[in-house]
Amino acid sequence: MRQSTADSIFTRRRLFGATAAGLAATSLGACATSGGDDDAEEVKVGENAENPFDVDPSAPLDVVIFDGGFGNEYAQAHQALYKESFPESDIEFLATQAIAETQQPRFAEGKPCDVLDNSGAQQIPMDSLVGDGELAELTPLLDAPSYDDPAVTVRDTLRDGVLGMGTFNGEVYALNYVFSAWTVWYDAKLFRDQGWTAPTTWEEMLALCPTIQAAGIAPWTYAGQHPVYLYDLFLMLAGRHGGVDVVKAIDHLEPDAWRHESVVKAAEALAGLYSEGYILEGTPGIDHIQSQTAFNERKAAFLPCGSWLPNEQAAIAPADFEYMPMGVPYFEGSVQPGLISAGGEEPFVVPKNATNLAGAYEYLRIMLSKEGAQIFGDTVQAATVVKGVELENPAAQATDQLVANPEDLFQPRFRFWYTKMNEEVRPALGALLSGESTADEFIERMQTVADETAADDSIDKFTHED
Amino acid sequence: MRHGRYPFILSFLVLPVGLYAWLVILPFAQAFQISLTDWSGSSNSFEYIGFDNYVNLFKDERFVLPALRHTGIILLVMPLVTIALGLFFAFMLNLGGRVRRGRIEGVRGARFHKIVFFFPQVLSVAIVGILWKQVYAPENFGGLITGALKAVGLPAPANGFLADTRFVLAAVIGVLVWSAVGFYLVYFSSAMASIPRDLYEAAIIDGAGRGPMFFKITLPLLWDSVQTAWIYLSIIALDVFVLVYLMTPEQGGPDASSEVVGGVIWKYAFKHGEQAFASAIGVVLFFAALSLAVVSLRVGRRERIEF
Repeated sequence: MRQSTADSIFTRRRLFGATAAGLAATSLGACATSGGDDDAEEVKVGENAENPFDVDPSAPLDVVIFDGGFGNEYAQAHQALYKESFPESDIEFLATQAIAETQQPRFAEGKPCDVLDNSGAQQIPMDSLVGDGELAELTPLLDAPSYDDPAVTVRDTLRDGVLGMGTFNGEVYALNYVFSAWTVWYDAKLFRDQGWTAPTTWEEMLALCPTIQAAGIAPWTYAGQHPVYLYDLFLMLAGRHGGVDVVKAIDHLEPDAWRHESVVKAAEALAGLYSEGYILEGTPGIDHIQSQTAFNERKAAFLPCGSWLPNEQAAIAPADFEYMPMGVPYFEGSVQPGLISAGGEEPFVVPKNATNLAGAYEYLRIMLSKEGAQIFGDTVQAATVVKGVELENPAAQATDQLVANPEDLFQPRFRFWYTKMNEEVRPALGALLSGESTADEFIERMQTVADETAADDSIDKFTHED
Repeated sequence: MRHGRYPFILSFLVLPVGLYAWLVILPFAQAFQISLTDWSGSSNSFEYIGFDNYVNLFKDERFVLPALRHTGIILLVMPLVTIALGLFFAFMLNLGGRVRRGRIEGVRGARFHKIVFFFPQVLSVAIVGILWKQVYAPENFGGLITGALKAVGLPAPANGFLADTRFVLAAVIGVLVWSAVGFYLVYFSSAMASIPRDLYEAAIIDGAGRGPMFFKITLPLLWDSVQTAWIYLSIIALDVFVLVYLMTPEQGGPDASSEVVGGVIWKYAFKHGEQAFASAIGVVLFFAALSLAVVSLRVGRRERIEF
């Protein structure tokens, strides 16, 4: 197994000189100009339910996994399953955090890997991969018979709404393997000991805050250096109040979408957390590890984060810490109080120019088998997009209840569709919650960039399916 | 014998010149070529779009313009402060002490100071970044400076220095100076050691103080070294990326207030999938660095004093 050297990005020599990336770009360029542009073959679903994609049993498979919070142990187990089916096949496996640095040149060269877990901070932007036509469409995989039961297609083994994240204008280009939800976390033990009830509405939450402060605890903290952790919190607060169409309109870059009453109300509410002093002092200056540590040390009562958090913290948090999720407290009078940002994450893609295209589809089919999904659940205690994986911990079960209603599942997407808006919303949210900007300034700033994006013909536009 | 000389020399040069052409000159040329395309970096197809990237570059208020501004500030401030401090410390260590029996000496423990000042130079830049991130942290989270300021009753930024749009760039420059000054202290020290002592002794007899001695004797005689230091430091200033990457929120934040050109190239190339645009910025920076070197060599040219 080739191991990544995360350090390599820090070596000064590589970054030396003003033209570091220029150099990188050009050395790829040599390939870009020389690489062949063969018409890629397509994978079709055959009759044989054991091997529906007609995989060449001896063809090697090249798998690249993002070596992040989920590690790579699960991937090795999946590869063992693949080897069981195709013992003659050699699997080349790379687990790395530097996805773009290692894989982008291979795309440019026209010799990409077969399966790529395009995730993490260094992921290759999906909009650029899709826009360049570098990815294989995954409908054949979804229409193939499932691994466990030939009578059921792969598509029917998946949870509702999990394909949305990987769907670009109606075509599925990524299989988001992990099912996760963005929630607000609290420590059930702390709340029980103090006699507090977890608030369901924003007003209840505000009423509880002085009590929390009286106990010497700050109500809120978050990863101030990475305001992206506030993205789903903010949009769900607005969407719950005005209904899912409010946030959908933002994704669709509709005029005045940001000036909608519910969006303004949500911005004002978040700014209010700062002005009321309900945020742990110093929070804008800390990263996610520091905020999670402060939360584990019970310095703050609420922390917005994704559903992977309790597993990630299992070994770190105090033994009696009871991670419990809740939806964003909604405003009284909210139209859709159950709305929650949940669905597939961790995008697995198959490059169009993959050498072993059929093998890649088969690998994904194995990942989506009951056994494959359970392996993932057992190793990292997180749910996959496959239905019916049993998870034991109470936090996962509570999350499952929050996402029970398929009508209420919605993932805000503009951050993933439009790089420019992603670059604007993160600092804008950071400024909003640190008192650097007012709610009005925030709204106008976002409306401006949305309008600019909408008016820019060079940017590919995307819409939600329904 | 004579006729065999050129092949002999050439045989030594082929490998280095070839490697240089292949790994340096060719990529530079290709950066220019790619900057004229719309290449994303993750595909093998692109189209030529002329100078659009260069035009758009100077309209990019979000990244490129702030980055140019900040790199400009670093370029002006960092070499100046580093050289000033380096010269001052070197002067103090060599000639700042008492005059004993007509001979001038450095401050006490000069050797020890030299070694201590040199420490940052042996630390990897990644360690320096992580270390200083903690030093600058909010008081609540163990920040050293914020904590010290609070302890003596002075105001400190509540969110630490790096999360504050007013201080973040200064904080980065501070670390750059801290890690460079030791090297230039040693560098200037050894240059000073080669200045004949009798010049100083003559000056003392003439009744010159430390100030005139520094400006009338040391600085003019060190001019070559200062000029070299200036060019090295300017290159470091243009090259600032790792510290910004390691220390600042969102690698250039908060809200673009510490974006630098190197970081923006990286963001466009690998985070936004716009390699062509990144190449265009790289080309601009290449020419900026080139003209900087030429200008500072020309402007700084002075008559050499033989001694």
